[in-house]
This record gives sequence, C-alpha cells and structure tokens, in this order.
Amino acid sequence: MCNNIDVIISNMAAPVSGMGEAPAERLPINSTSFQKKTRSKLVSIPGTRPSVQNGQLLVSTGVTSLDYLLGGGLAVGTVLLIEEDRYDSYSRMILKYFLAEGVVCRHELFVATAQDNPDDILQELPAPILDDVAVPKAVEQPRLTGEPQDSLDAMKIAWRYQHLPKVQSALASSSRFGHYYDVSKTMEAEIRQAAKCHRFCLPDHVTPSSTAHRLESYSALLKSLQEVIHREGFDLAAPMSKSRNILRVGLHSLGSALWGDDLCCHDKPRHRHALTTFLYGLRALLRSSLSVAVVTLPSHLIQDRALMGSITRLCDNAIALESFKGSERETNPLYKDYHGLLYVRQVPHLNCLASQLPDHKDLAFKLKRKQFSIERLHLPPDLSETVSRVSRGELASACGPSASGTKNLDF
Amino acid sequence: MLSELLQGIETGGLLIIQDSCSYSGRDLLRSFIAAALNREEEVHVLCFDVSEDELTDGLKPPATQRLHVHNAYPDPLGWTDHPAFAVQQFRLEDLTDLVKQASQPKPATLVIDSLSWVLRHAAPPAVCRTLQQLRKGGAVRAVVALLHADMHQRGTVGSVCHLASSLVAVAPGPKGNEAVAKITKRSKSGKVAQDEETFCITEDLTVAVLSRPSSLPEAKPNGSEEEQADPTANLTFNLRLSESELEAKQKLTLPFVFSKEKKTALLHPGPGSGRILYEPDANDDYDQEDPDDDLDV
Amino acid sequence: MFTELNSILSSSPDSVTPGEFILVSDRQSDASFLIHHFLSFYLRSRCKVVFLGLVQSFRHYSAVSQRLGVSLTQAKEKGQLVFMEGLKESLSVLIPQADNTESQAMNFLRDPPVGLRSLYEFVRSGAVGSGRAEDGAEEWGPPVLLVDDVSVLLSLGVDAGAVLDFSHYCRAAVCSQMKGNMVMLVRCNGEEEEEEDGEEGAEALLKGLTHQCSLNLHVQGLPTGYCKDIHGQVEVCWKRRQGDGPHTQRNLFQYKVHDKGASFFPRGTSSAVL
Repeated sequence: MCNNIDVIISNMAAPVSGMGEAPAERLPINSTSFQKKTRSKLVSIPGTRPSVQNGQLLVSTGVTSLDYLLGGGLAVGTVLLIEEDRYDSYSRMILKYFLAEGVVCRHELFVATAQDNPDDILQELPAPILDDVAVPKAVEQPRLTGEPQDSLDAMKIAWRYQHLPKVQSALASSSRFGHYYDVSKTMEAEIRQAAKCHRFCLPDHVTPSSTAHRLESYSALLKSLQEVIHREGFDLAAPMSKSRNILRVGLHSLGSALWGDDLCCHDKPRHRHALTTFLYGLRALLRSSLSVAVVTLPSHLIQDRALMGSITRLCDNAIALESFKGSERETNPLYKDYHGLLYVRQVPHLNCLASQLPDHKDLAFKLKRKQFSIERLHLPPDLSETVSRVSRGELASACGPSASGTKNLDF
Repeated sequence: MLSELLQGIETGGLLIIQDSCSYSGRDLLRSFIAAALNREEEVHVLCFDVSEDELTDGLKPPATQRLHVHNAYPDPLGWTDHPAFAVQQFRLEDLTDLVKQASQPKPATLVIDSLSWVLRHAAPPAVCRTLQQLRKGGAVRAVVALLHADMHQRGTVGSVCHLASSLVAVAPGPKGNEAVAKITKRSKSGKVAQDEETFCITEDLTVAVLSRPSSLPEAKPNGSEEEQADPTANLTFNLRLSESELEAKQKLTLPFVFSKEKKTALLHPGPGSGRILYEPDANDDYDQEDPDDDLDV
Repeated sequence: MFTELNSILSSSPDSVTPGEFILVSDRQSDASFLIHHFLSFYLRSRCKVVFLGLVQSFRHYSAVSQRLGVSLTQAKEKGQLVFMEGLKESLSVLIPQADNTESQAMNFLRDPPVGLRSLYEFVRSGAVGSGRAEDGAEEWGPPVLLVDDVSVLLSLGVDAGAVLDFSHYCRAAVCSQMKGNMVMLVRCNGEEEEEEDGEEGAEALLKGLTHQCSLNLHVQGLPTGYCKDIHGQVEVCWKRRQGDGPHTQRNLFQYKVHDKGASFFPRGTSSAVL
C-alpha cells in the first residue's frame, strides 16, 4: 500500500511541481475524481501539489521527512502545531525551514512573534541548496521491486528474509517535493527580500487590557492576519482573476507569557480559553483562504493536560519535539545517534473519513548540516567487539521505560 | 431493607437515590412513585430530567389520578415565556403553594427528578435548606429525590446526603438486569442500619429483592464454592477430546514436520557421497574457553 | 452510512426510532467518523436535519458525505438540511471590525458566560421549519439535530453547565416535543481517573450528557496501544429498556475506518489477526 502511494505521488507530482522524475509505470489505480478537481483549479500555484488521499492541496514544510510523516505535506487551510522542545532550538528550526521553503517557492509570508522582532527569524533562515536536485535523487530513491541491476549485485541473504520489505529507517517519499537547506549558512539577502513578508510584532500593538476569555494580543493578531488575507487576495471567496499564491503563516511561541497569556504561569490560568478561542478563529480564517500555518507552543510549561488536549484538537496536525539536550536520555546509548524524539500527536482527516496513520510511532530526529531528518527509532548496529552482556542489559532496560512511557506499544 | 423502604417512608423522611452514569436510578425512583400511589398517597413530582411521558410510563390509570406532575422538563430555566415550573422556584414558599394547589387535606409525598438539576443551578446551601424546610414544613409528608452523584463535587453530594434519613446508592449488578443497592437508614433515635441488596425491577415497576440482607453473609461460603468453578470452563480450545476427535487430531500432520523417511534421508546421506575428514593440527587455534564470552560455559 | 453499525444498533433509515438521544463520545481517540455516519443515515431516512458543524468547514462534511453517497449541497437546496458552519459564523464575532451580523447563533462568543440560549433558538427555529410544507416543497420527516462537537464550546469559554442546559433544551424540543432524534459528539482526552470531584470541563460534560442520553457510543483507543489495523474500540451502551431486556446493555466492538466507511467486529476478530 505504502509503495503504491509513493508511486502515485510521483505520478501526480511530476506534471504539477515539475520536479519529480518521469514516472516509470502507470498504476491501474487511477481515481479520476481527485485529479479532475485539483488539476483544473489550483494547479497553477508553485510549490504545491495535490494529496493522493483527498485531493487536498499540499505545501511542503521544508523538511522532507516531516512532509512524508504528515501524509505528503501540509494541507492548505490547516494548522500544524509544534510542541516546542525545552530550549526551542529544533522547533524554531522547523519554523525556519517552513518559512524558507516559502521564500524559495515565492509564497508570501506572515510572521508573528512576541519574543523578538520577526525580522530576527527571517534573517536566520537557512540557505537553500538549489543545485542539489540531481544529487539526492540517486541516494534517496527507494528501489522499486524488479529493477534489473538490483538482481545483479544483490546481496546474498537467507531465502527466508528475501521477501521481507526493505527497512528504510529514514522517512522519505520517492518524489522530490520540498527543497534542502544548509543550516550552517543563512539565506542571501536578495533571495530573502524577493519574498513578500508581512510582520506582526507584538510590542507595536500591545494594549494589555483583556477579559477572561479574550486577550488583546491574540485579537490584534487575528485581526492583522485577516487584513492581510483580505488585502492580498488570499481569500477563497475573492475573484479568481489573477494568479493565486499561498500565504505561509508562522506563529512563534504562542501561549508564552510574552503574549500576555498566563497559560504557562498558573495551574488554573485566568485566560484559560483565550488561546483556544484564538485557534478557533485561526482555523476559521485559514479554512476560507489559501493559507497554511505553523504554530509553535511551549507545551512543556503548560501544566493542564486537558487544556493541551483541546489546543491540539483545534489544530489539524500536531507533533511534539523532545530534545535530548539536558535530559538524562542524552547519555543513553540507545539515543546516541539522534538529537531528540518526535511524537505525532494528531494527524488530520480532511475531506475523508480515514486519516493516514503513521505505520510507526517510535520516531527520532537528528539535525544534520544539510538535512533535518526524522527516522524510525532503532538500536544502532552493534559493531564494537568489546560490548559485553552487561551493557546490553542496560540497553534493554533503557529501552523499556521509554516504550511504556510514551505508550507506543506497537503490535 | 429495600422493600421495607418501598412500603413507606416515615413522616418527615428524606430518601435520596444516588446513581451514576453506569446505572440509572430512575427506574427505582419510579418504583417508589408506583408504591406510594398504590398506598393511596398523593404524589407530587418535580420533573426536570425526563419528559412526563417517560416518567409516568408504566403507571396505571386509576393510580395516576393521585399523581401530580409539575413538568419542568420542557423549560426549566424559563427561556420561553410560560414555564410550568422553573428551577428558580425551588423554594419553600413556591413548593408549598404548588402542593397546596392540589387542595388535598392529606400531606403528600414529593418526588424530585432529579436533584442534580436543581444543584446545578442553585447554591448547595440554599438547596439543603429548602430540603430541610420541606421536611419540617408540614405540607409535604416525605421527600424522595434522585441524585446523580458523579455530576457534583464530593462535598456537595456529601452535604445533601447528610440530610437524608435514608440513602440508597445504586450500582450495576452482576447480571444484566440486576442492580446492587447500598442502603443506609437512620432512625430518629440515631440508630443506623446499613445493608446491601441485589434487586431487579420488573416491567410493572415492582422491585424484586434477590438476596436478603441476612442471607448475604451465609451465602458467602456458597458463593465461594461457586467461584471455585472449573477454570477450564470457558477455554477457547477443547481439553476433553472424544475418542474419534483424538484420533483425527493425531492424524494431522503439522506444517514443517517431516516424515521419518525424509528426515533420515536428509540427515544421513547415502553411500557414495563425500565426507569431510579433518584433524586439527598445531596451527589451529583451538581454545577451550569461550572466545566471544557469549556462551554460558 | 455504515451498514455494519446499522445492524449493531438494529436501525435502518426506513424506520427512525422517535425520541432517541445518541451521545457519541471519545477519549484519547477520534469518534468523528460516527458523526458522518449519522449525518448520511438521517439524510437518507428523509428526516429534516439541523447540523451544527462547529469544528470543520462545510466543504469537509460535504466531501466526506459525497464518499458516503449523500450530497449535502442538494440536501441544503431542497431544504432538508439546515447547516450552521460555526467557523464561518464565528469570524464576524471574533474579529469585531466586520460587524455585519447575519446570524445570532454564535452570539455566545461575545460573552460566553451568558450561555447558549441564542444557539438553542437557532436550533429550534431550524427544526420547527420542518413541520409546514411550504408551497409544494418536499415534506420531511421528524427533525434531527446533529452537533460536531459540543466540547469545542468549552474551548470557546462556555462552561459545562451551560452546554448541559443547551443539550437539555434541545432534547426537550427535538426529542420529546417533535419526536425527532439528536446526536452529539463530545470529546475528552484525560484518563478516566485523572480528574476527580466533578471538576468543571469535558469530564463533567461527558457525565452529564451520559445521564441525559438514551444511547451512548463511546470510542476509545485499544487498551493495548496503537495498532494500524484496528483503530480502536467502541462501546455501545443502551440506557433505556429495550423491550424485556435489561436496563443498561453494553456491547464492545472493535472498528477500523476505511476510505468509504468503517467496519465493526467483535473483539479479537479483526481480519488482521485471523
């Protein structure tokens, strides 16, 4: 099933994005309904492609393996919630990838933060690797069954294992969607400035009077976003005359005290419903426009799990990052190849009954210079000769609590 | 003790039926109504939770003449213009008027379905006071009320139940249509009797008590004997094979079980095939100990 | 419409039991697929349907219904369906600048403590409109109210008591007075034992609604954890007497959601394990 989907994506993506390789073969599965719908209307927007599942228009998050995890990409009109890691380093990185991808695809941006100036985030955007198109293809392309050269230099393994699916720990789909970025360099100013960017900076707007269920800062943000959507013609109701574009909305560290919110400060916050009301309004705005949002949230500061649950439910996608930095897991040999764990809290089902569930829930991420990669968590291969039985025991016990703690008991 | 309570509550009594999501006490409440009507008592019902039809379903016509339903179900908060009874009217004066309107000289039994509705909209102290005043007031002979205990804070439930002269807490029973009632009864002298009974309610709202309180401890040894029932009773496989079944089973060849001939053919190659003869010499590093340290030798 | 669920509930679109209040609840799981079942079920049974879609856009419900073989747009045009798109309505209230208030239904957003009376009045007028056949328009069966989902009202600052009042009034009007049906979805995410003392919020709402309803479909994840082939289990709990049967009757099924429906099977009989 999974392979089929990949092939269909490559089928679909080739004419749309113009970046995927030519499809090797056309599968009999060919549901006409979604092709018709998506191609006729929205095919002209660069950096988008329709979803195989439901014909939803997708954009890349800028992180290829995250796209794969979310069922191909972020659906336009939805919100991705990222629960920040403790030091907000990796969540901020994903936010920057998301914005950088927007710059490269010539989408418009809307950046809001209460912590620092939106320009600070924009200046830190990673540099795109634009000449890499051919390189990762060779590496990344999963081998389809029955390729001739495959049988020639195939490794000889016991026949029992020959029919097992090849395990590919890094998550990736067969077709190229987003771009790659080099995090050691920042994006050149002229590329960055070519993109149209709307900034919302809280200190300009703040008027700290507020009621229990509404916060002035959130209302101002919502209003400013609505203005941009109306003015720049992202509204779906707007006439379809000129070429359409996508608005990427990045909201950094919502719910933190700097927004005037006390969610993180108290067990029983006074503005308990301010953020959820805002997210409801945000969903309402996005659903009626060509925009997509990534929201980060310092969830480790929020004590109330029930509240966290309703926040999650008001977003569409939700992932959580847990960095090993500063935790006892840093020294655990099980995790030595990774920078942190990634949990998928929620996947959306939009326009369809079934949501695409990830086939694996134990996921870890690492940040490499040219790639943020999300992989299936597994033990590193044991290559050293000095490994004794004792340390293996430790490893097993280290593995145990993490599995039970995250409730990811997989059949 | 449940049937004792059904036969009549003492004057000035307050009986509270406490239920939860898992088992509704409404049928028991309706049994109390039916029992009171059968005793030719006047019954007033404050009906919040369910419609009048649902509440009076199963009560027979001659008895229902003495039943006065004050239907607050369609409009308990007065959102439309003319509510029959609204939750704000849960006060001594209004309730007394209501009961007096029926112009019966005889004091009546007041049934509240349910107290939870009232408690959600009025302060618990006020509700408690009204209940106490009703008991002493004289217009009402006794009060029977239903309370959904899991909808309120423990303190609220506690203080309301503290007022009750009898408390019946119902929970689902061992079998589908049975329920367990925990009964606490306080007499005026201060004596407290407690009991636990299993009961079921039939179609015509009569309560059948299945196990008597006195027989409950005696039933224990019996029960434990039953509990020692055959552990092999509900197995998904069969332990007691008949002769023919056993034969059939033994005939089966399991997958990957080779016949004897095939096995010997595989293990002992026939004549003519080669053999490896090997004698270790000095160059062979033959070590007695476990070189990888991974065998338990 | 999932035929397997119909046979479990022994219901069919040809005969709708009057006065039913079906509560669909979930805990750390997602029961919204059942809402789509009931939406298509009642549209097929030619009932007048009032749908409060609070969490998704009309397009979403419409696209899913299309897969289940029902067209919402047509139903709307024919007057069978009254659809309130909460997201759309809320914007004019949440961003005060646009002050063209067409509908009063979402008025509670202005001041949540006031309660949901305006929403109830919207429901009532939508349901009542069914009775009279207007100049040659088709006549529809008893009204049905569907809400997806009520717990989002809590997130918008309405307290659980007000939601309970709202559902009580809707039940009195739709189920008892008009002999229609009502389906509500409520979502919880805490552990069952976590919250105690009837704390306000989703737990209290779930408990209160469970007391009100006549049938509860409770969806949970598998107790053994995540599994790709079995999406969870649904507990079917009848609150009212079914003929001679017991008062409360519970049945447990496991389910898997497909593209165009869902399959239900007794525990341990998934095609993935057999």
